[in-house]
Amino acid sequence: MTPAPEPLVVVCAGGGGVGKTTTSAALALALARAGRSTLIVTIDPARRLAGAMGVPITDEVTRVSLDGAGDRLSALMPDPRRSLGTFVDGLFEDEPAARARLLGNRLYRGLSDAAAGVHELVAMNLVARASSRGAFEVVVIDTAPSRHAIDFVTYPSRLAALLGGRTVAWLAGLAERAAHAGTAEGASAPRGLFAWGTGHVERVVARVTGPNLVPDTASLFAELALVRERFVALTRRASELLLGPRSSYALVAAPTAAARDDVVYLAGRLHKLGRAPRVVVMNRSESRPAPWARALRGGRGVTAPMAEALELLEEERASRSSAADALTADLGARLPDAPIVRLPFVEAIAPDRIVAALADELATHLDALLAAPARRG
Amino acid sequence: MIPRAPGKRLSAAVLVMGKGGVGKTTVASSLAVLEAETHGRAVLVEFGDGESGRRALAGAHRGVDHLVIRPAEAIQRGAAPLFGSATIARLALGNFAMRPLLRAAPAIRELAMLESVRQIVADRPGVRVVVDMPATGHGVAWLRVPRQGRDFLAAGPLFDLCDRLGRELLAPGRASIVVVTLPERLVLEETLELCAAIAGEAGMPIDRVVVNRVPIALPEEALGDARALAAIPGPLAEPAAALASLLAARANARAEAVAAIDLLARTDHSIWRIPLAPVDPSAKDVARWLRAEGAP
Repeated sequence: MTPAPEPLVVVCAGGGGVGKTTTSAALALALARAGRSTLIVTIDPARRLAGAMGVPITDEVTRVSLDGAGDRLSALMPDPRRSLGTFVDGLFEDEPAARARLLGNRLYRGLSDAAAGVHELVAMNLVARASSRGAFEVVVIDTAPSRHAIDFVTYPSRLAALLGGRTVAWLAGLAERAAHAGTAEGASAPRGLFAWGTGHVERVVARVTGPNLVPDTASLFAELALVRERFVALTRRASELLLGPRSSYALVAAPTAAARDDVVYLAGRLHKLGRAPRVVVMNRSESRPAPWARALRGGRGVTAPMAEALELLEEERASRSSAADALTADLGARLPDAPIVRLPFVEAIAPDRIVAALADELATHLDALLAAPARRG
Repeated sequence: MIPRAPGKRLSAAVLVMGKGGVGKTTVASSLAVLEAETHGRAVLVEFGDGESGRRALAGAHRGVDHLVIRPAEAIQRGAAPLFGSATIARLALGNFAMRPLLRAAPAIRELAMLESVRQIVADRPGVRVVVDMPATGHGVAWLRVPRQGRDFLAAGPLFDLCDRLGRELLAPGRASIVVVTLPERLVLEETLELCAAIAGEAGMPIDRVVVNRVPIALPEEALGDARALAAIPGPLAEPAAALASLLAARANARAEAVAAIDLLARTDHSIWRIPLAPVDPSAKDVARWLRAEGAP
């Protein structure tokens, strides 16, 4: 069987509250309208948008019917609350006894919702599974609204290295020694260069943490070390999708200083990974009044309340616009290689109307996003 | 039903919580500004690089002591008394096996940072300390850590640290919880879940709920007028329909906000409202709005 062609991956990242999820959905819709079969993946699903698009929050790919998408748009919105379970089930498929021990580990139970990057990893593997069938030309990934949204790319490989490293061996020895404390003190302590320091560290750490922490940590790591190979494979698949040659990055901002700083920060993180943002999308930042607003100004039949409303709306637009001008200039100076796409502030009752309107605006920018990735060294 | 904190006054420590993007930092900074305006001094504690607090405080930092807690420093600082000396702590934490473990074990970082907050509060009697907490999910996990530590560690200095945090910082009367939310039904539902989790899992009542970005009302008759004009064939029909659609969206958002605030009021929470501004409001503006709502 020949492997299915790898999809192009567009990763959308940005801080909270900038409209990243809506923008990602709009981008996916624009791609589908342009004839490309597209999968939109939302790492941290906004229930409102999921509802509006008729997408359930599950691990299954769902067809989305939005205006003009034909049958080319699908969505994947995995539930973050379920992913740790999914992850552990996948890792320990062949090690049921270790899985049971892990689930009973007090430390694991305490850690379970703080396990950074696990949900992203699970989501990426669902993406990999979905795209291995060759069904999608483009995958748009809407990351979690955080500066650390792309850090998880490196986090699992660090953890994988940790699981294969000396720490685990040391912990395993420590747990064993803790179990036989007092019988043959130090008999199985590690030899060589680290022996002296390690013996001291063991005693000091055990004194500070009390009797439970070290053995429980040690057994937790021992269980994870059992499935290290699988762990590494999962990590590699996620990294290939996100950092591979067919991925590109869109950073999403809004006309606020906080959003600008988030974008600059994320661009810095990308730079460290050898990548650069392809485009910066500045939401809610139209520079001119809408044509309909200009048409209505002073028009016949426009009542006083309408005129007042128009004036208030225009004041809002003008202040957003001038904030956006300043931030665009600033971002342009700091990220000279990334064009800035300014999108209007779309207000509508139904979120799918907003998605459709923004997709119209993004239609002319698709080529810039999908061109061969720029690499930075 | 979520238990309401007794009394009106906020405690010495004010922990500002909420999901990402709701304006937690803005609220935390403006509470610090408001406190400094009222009592001459306040502390704003931020985790991370200090950039967001600096930005939010810009031009309004008089009397506000902006303290930034970085994880690595907090761990070193918190570990010294546990290990008996800073040198032994540094040796132990710098050990080849400990370093990656500390990176991989989030609870240690959280304990150390909470301990830094406890020390900041303890060192400054009479000064209100406002803490810009990490976003939801993480936020509740943070508050839970000392409790879990106490249950999990049977004894030892680390147990004592958890126990002290539980008694001296994360206890009703010691710290007040301020939750920031948006006036949207789904965000509010998440917020009520968060409030229940804080109360149930961390044992802390919610002192205030701040509803940020409440849409202001546009002239009421404008929507009807725009719809009427849209119904008249002519060059303005389409522009008027576009205006009507926007005004309908606004009216809808406004109605949702009013309903959300009503719902909150029924849960017996004390509420502060902040209006929606088209661009970032300054901490001074927000402090003024909060004062009008009866804060601090």
